[in-house]
Amino acid sequence: MLMGAGGGLWYVQHLKSENEILTLNNAKLEGAVAEQQAVIEQQLRDIETKTDINKQLTENNAKLTADLNLANEKFNKINASGERRDIGNLAVNKPKSIERIERKREQQRARCFEIAQGSPLTEEELNATKKSQINAECTNLANPNYVPY
Amino acid sequence: MREQVIEVLKSHFGDKPIEDGTHLMDDLGGDEFDIVDVCLQIENKLDITIPEEETFDIMTVSQLLEVVGRHVQSD
Repeated sequence: MLMGAGGGLWYVQHLKSENEILTLNNAKLEGAVAEQQAVIEQQLRDIETKTDINKQLTENNAKLTADLNLANEKFNKINASGERRDIGNLAVNKPKSIERIERKREQQRARCFEIAQGSPLTEEELNATKKSQINAECTNLANPNYVPY
Repeated sequence: MREQVIEVLKSHFGDKPIEDGTHLMDDLGGDEFDIVDVCLQIENKLDITIPEEETFDIMTVSQLLEVVGRHVQSD
């Protein structure tokens, strides 16, 4: 009988010990599940961020393409008398003026790249509504409130 | 001289209203290259030479007339 009671006690102790191990394992598993859940959530956030960046890049690319087409049109502009602008002739006769314009345009182009890469627009760029105020190199991108007239 | 300048402007920018305060870019739709172009056309028409530096800040018709006027008198 004593042996039976001893066996029973051992069995209960064994069950308790196993129960503790199971409880610990369960806690570890819960921790791992929470960790995985956090990783999945972070991955979902990363995907969302990447999607947003991709969307922004696509939009910027479309604007830059539109601006490039506009620049080509401007470069080969035809005046009211039907004469095509000859930048080469202007550069020969007025080199300083053309160089000055080109330097300004170069600065504007650099700003276009900054904006395309995520630089926020300045108040001045946002408020530009007149032709003399705009960035002529990427108006669609730099001056969203400018309406060509 | 004024009439000849206005004539060049109209031939370049079309039949838009042109007054002294008219802005070559904001009102006539020109850009910096147009201003250089117009100055060159005026020089040829009036047979004058305008130093480039004097044309850098021209934005309005009155500024253009003033610069041209200086050289019509002096040339």
